[in-house]
Amino acid sequence: MNQPARGLTYSRVSFRYPDSPGIALRDVDLEVEGGEILLVAGGSGSGKSTLLRAANGLVPHTSGGQFSGNVLAFGRSTRTHRPRELADVVGFVHQDPEAQFVVDHVERDLAFVLENLGHEPQAMRRRVEEVLDALGIAQLRERAPTSLSSGERQRCAIAGALAAAPAALVLDEPTSQLDPQGADDVLAAIGRLNADLGTTVLLAEHRLERAAPLADRAVIFEAGSIVASPGPPAAVLAGYAGAPPVTHLARLLGWEPLPLTVRDARRLAVEAGRANRSDRSDRSDGSNGLDGCKPPPPDAPGEAQGEAPGELLLDATGVHVELGGRTVLADVSVSARQGEVIALLGRNGAGKTTLLRVLGRLLTARAGSIEGPGTVAYVPQDPNTLLFAATVRAELEQTLHLLGRRDHGDVDHWLAALDLTHLAGRHPRSLAGGERQRVAVAAVAVGGADVLLLDEPTRGMDAPSRAGLERALRAHAEAGGAVVLATHDVELAARSAGRVVVLGDGDVVASGPARTVLAGSLFAPQVLRVLPPFLTVDEVARAQGVPAAPAGRVEP
Amino acid sequence: MTSRFHALAWLIWALAAAISLQLAPSPLYVAVVIGIATLVVQVHGSDGPFARAFPVLLTLGVVFMVIRVALTAATTHTGIGTELFTTPSFTLPQLLGGFTVGGPVEAEVLFQAAAEGFVVVGVMAVFGAFNAVVSHYELVQSTPRAFYELGLVVTVALAFVPSTIQAVVAVREADRARTGGRVVRRGRLIRQAIPVLESGMERAVNLAESMDARGFAYGGASPLDRVAGWAGFASLLALGGAFVALVGRASTVALALGAAGVGLLLVAVWAASAARHRSRYRPRHFTTADGAMAGIAMLAPIGIAALSAWGESTLTWAASPLHWPAFAALPVIALTALLAPMIRVPPVNAAEPPDTAGRRELVSDRGSAAK
Amino acid sequence: MSVDTAALLRRIPGGSDRPGGRRARPLAVYVLTTILGTAAFLYPFWIPGESLPSSAHAGDAPLVAALVGALVVAAISLEVRRGTMNGATVAILGVLSAFAGLGRLLDLPGNNAGMLFLVVLGGAAFGARFGLLLGMCTMAVSAFITGGIGPWLPFQMLALGWMGAGAGLLSRATARADARAEVVALAGYAWVWGFLYGAIMNLWFWPFQRGGSLSWYPGLGFADTLHRYWSFYVATSLGWDAATALANALLVLILGIPILRSLRRFAHRLHPVVELVDIDET
Repeated sequence: MNQPARGLTYSRVSFRYPDSPGIALRDVDLEVEGGEILLVAGGSGSGKSTLLRAANGLVPHTSGGQFSGNVLAFGRSTRTHRPRELADVVGFVHQDPEAQFVVDHVERDLAFVLENLGHEPQAMRRRVEEVLDALGIAQLRERAPTSLSSGERQRCAIAGALAAAPAALVLDEPTSQLDPQGADDVLAAIGRLNADLGTTVLLAEHRLERAAPLADRAVIFEAGSIVASPGPPAAVLAGYAGAPPVTHLARLLGWEPLPLTVRDARRLAVEAGRANRSDRSDRSDGSNGLDGCKPPPPDAPGEAQGEAPGELLLDATGVHVELGGRTVLADVSVSARQGEVIALLGRNGAGKTTLLRVLGRLLTARAGSIEGPGTVAYVPQDPNTLLFAATVRAELEQTLHLLGRRDHGDVDHWLAALDLTHLAGRHPRSLAGGERQRVAVAAVAVGGADVLLLDEPTRGMDAPSRAGLERALRAHAEAGGAVVLATHDVELAARSAGRVVVLGDGDVVASGPARTVLAGSLFAPQVLRVLPPFLTVDEVARAQGVPAAPAGRVEP
Repeated sequence: MTSRFHALAWLIWALAAAISLQLAPSPLYVAVVIGIATLVVQVHGSDGPFARAFPVLLTLGVVFMVIRVALTAATTHTGIGTELFTTPSFTLPQLLGGFTVGGPVEAEVLFQAAAEGFVVVGVMAVFGAFNAVVSHYELVQSTPRAFYELGLVVTVALAFVPSTIQAVVAVREADRARTGGRVVRRGRLIRQAIPVLESGMERAVNLAESMDARGFAYGGASPLDRVAGWAGFASLLALGGAFVALVGRASTVALALGAAGVGLLLVAVWAASAARHRSRYRPRHFTTADGAMAGIAMLAPIGIAALSAWGESTLTWAASPLHWPAFAALPVIALTALLAPMIRVPPVNAAEPPDTAGRRELVSDRGSAAK
Repeated sequence: MSVDTAALLRRIPGGSDRPGGRRARPLAVYVLTTILGTAAFLYPFWIPGESLPSSAHAGDAPLVAALVGALVVAAISLEVRRGTMNGATVAILGVLSAFAGLGRLLDLPGNNAGMLFLVVLGGAAFGARFGLLLGMCTMAVSAFITGGIGPWLPFQMLALGWMGAGAGLLSRATARADARAEVVALAGYAWVWGFLYGAIMNLWFWPFQRGGSLSWYPGLGFADTLHRYWSFYVATSLGWDAATALANALLVLILGIPILRSLRRFAHRLHPVVELVDIDET
């Protein structure tokens, strides 16, 4: 790559989508330096996707709309250059691993960009081999993308964008649809590319626990403009709701400098503990640093304070399921009582989705029984499989209509519970990912089932949406229902669940109160690893007597 | 999914077989061609989803033949043939054609129709074999660059098929989930069709962005494009003229104009292909082996045509008077040229993973030991 | 966008390489190919008896017609790809072709209905040119999926292409009517094409039927040939096509409004309109 190390420059960029009243980008000025990794954080609908697409001209040339200002990508202006003329300087990766392959064959899809640019056959061969090695996917070259895991698919998509050796790589939430293992692989690959090849990376992410330590600088985007100027990630993300829990923890306890990883946080905890011990002779309130004296509250979050769980709603015993000749679940027993929020954890393929489907009466088990007076409803992983109505409100009303219920009172209740009232008249497909997921949950929950079964509800959700969902689930449990959540998100389990069940290879590996199961396991949340026995930042805050900050707000 | 021979070579083979069938429609020779096609499928057939193409198309051809035979036997009564049996007859009203169905069923009519239907079965078998042995990706790749975008549409569509099927399954389950596991039939079509469609369209938009970002449609129009446009237009005019000449019974003029039309179209395709800036990654070149196979296969129709010009009488067969189809060695020898694909037989264990290859050897050892 | 800056609006019709005025030649090409294609597959009606060496070779005619059909398809493809073929067109065509191609595999009474109705709706949503492309590509994809590539393919592609194009023209004609009227018109159109499609393909297979009062002989004259073909059609595929036509119409009626609404949301992606605003450096 012999491009000069200039980067991407946005000058006074404003943009409005066609037929859209809102403004997507307002007068944005941003400089991405050559060779750095810049992380863009922001909620759904904040405009960061638009910002990223402006880097290689997809906005405005592919999407249409009104564009003012200028974006320079390594000296080429996107006003005069179409995306296809920037393909050799800027590569683009989307968040959907299923929608980036032109040919159903990895190696031939990689060569797509090279064919388009008219490279010589010999040069194409060399480039393809190089990029297969750079991403470590050489063993996947003959496979069909539809047969790969989503992490592998995303790496192949990155390879496809990288084949023409662009100087910059723009990635729009590449890990949001992936499981933690796949996300790790993708982010590691991005870090390697930046370190070895010097590729400039412009990255938008929700999942900041992994992405933030990778970045050189970070910037926060909201409502079409930058609200926190680019700077070192820890400083910039300090007040951001979506920051890693350890950052929030450190901010709460006044630790400096703000950590982004568990490792840095542990070091600070040890230092603070040392400082605390030496200070204790002077101070008596112990308010600075470690709070070893005040034990955490005895009851786990997610259960109503002081209330014992209610009657049994659902009882599954000895469930045995075989799919495609393989034993997916072997002798699994799970029960749900009124007021409980249960988290189902486990690796990909451990059987979480299968268990939920069996509980939701969508799949019949070969052996075992499922009893209980409670009605069940299952919310599928992908909200797009549910949504078909013209408005959000109609979507909920449809469910009631299908169940033969005339009274539509519950519709408003659930719209309010999931913060969807202001979106009630919108087309569900025009909403961003996190909002769509909430609509899907509402559409199923409005049926009035006692036990809600949710499969990965927070995939791709930003912090405000997550907080809204958690509130609604807690309210449902408190009102006498139960919730069973299958998730990879340990923080979600720590914040919402009273009980945790861990599945491994079709067996129940662990089951019990959240605190006991999460402690000392691979599924420990960040705060637990830094400051045992606290599970979440909210617990620490409560122990301190400080009111917890309302989630979802960016603080200055 | 690669095939031993280039896709174009296979196409030439299929055309050669089809032409041979037309030139030698006696049931005996048709049976020979069908047998050759079956053998080719056995040896060269890929295990992909198109492996079913051969039996499916063969069955379709047989069904077609049976229907046609029944139809002809029921409606054609020459009065001079050998009667087999009589069925009750009725005449359809004039509005629906006014022809008679039923009546004496004659053997000659039956066999004549069967023989002609058999030729169609042969054509279906040949193209069924073609679909079963060719690599469809290579077929798309081999289209001239002038048609690149359309070939790309087919490629993208084929890449979308598995995810569409998965989407349909997921949507059906989500629909049941909405009502707590119960199936609600009313309005099911809309509830299931729309999400699949919308998700597919959204994926298409994402794919379009990915394609644009990867340089699709790089390079604008060039003067060769204009040449291609006008050449295509002119070729259509020439072909139209050929048709008019045909109606006017001026066959030489028709032939000349037809040839001109085809020639101009080829010019148009060449110009449009040259105007594109794309290159091809690891294209499959048409090797001498492919050329040899195609050349040998073409010997079959050429040989049959020569024999027909020499007055070989066994090539066609008529049912009346009723007689067995005659057999002559020369046409069969000519038809064996269609065995050309056998010059390169894929190795038996080519696609086998290492651990099962050993097991196979063990079995074959045991088999040979048992002999 | 700051409203008070002096703006110089420049409109770029996104993706199109052809200046607006030169629409004469494409239109002529489409008309010519329609005439030629129609003539090609209607040859049983007008081809004179002397042009075929002997009645034994009557079975050659379909293959020659297939060749002509292939040439017509090539000519159309050359012309149609010269307009906007941006990534969105290719991607959307690909997805809809995949759906329609798979739709053919649904076990409906007339099994082509799953494919035909979607081509009609796609053409209605996006216009005649798109409908033409969609029809041709759907047939090609379906042939690949079902392993049905053969000499019948060019005519299948042409027939489906015309169906899609006609749907686009029809929707333009009913543009001012309300949604329900449009869907009813499209349903009627789809019903007619259920029969037409069957008739076209059956016509191609007809000359293979030799001997008997229902078969084809060249040079019989238009009225006689038509009568024979009508009888043949009634005997072989009328019932089947009636089922297809009915299924077509029902699918369009039931799914028409929601599908058209969903598809039209994406119309602007096929022809993105870009406005570049220059900001005065005040």
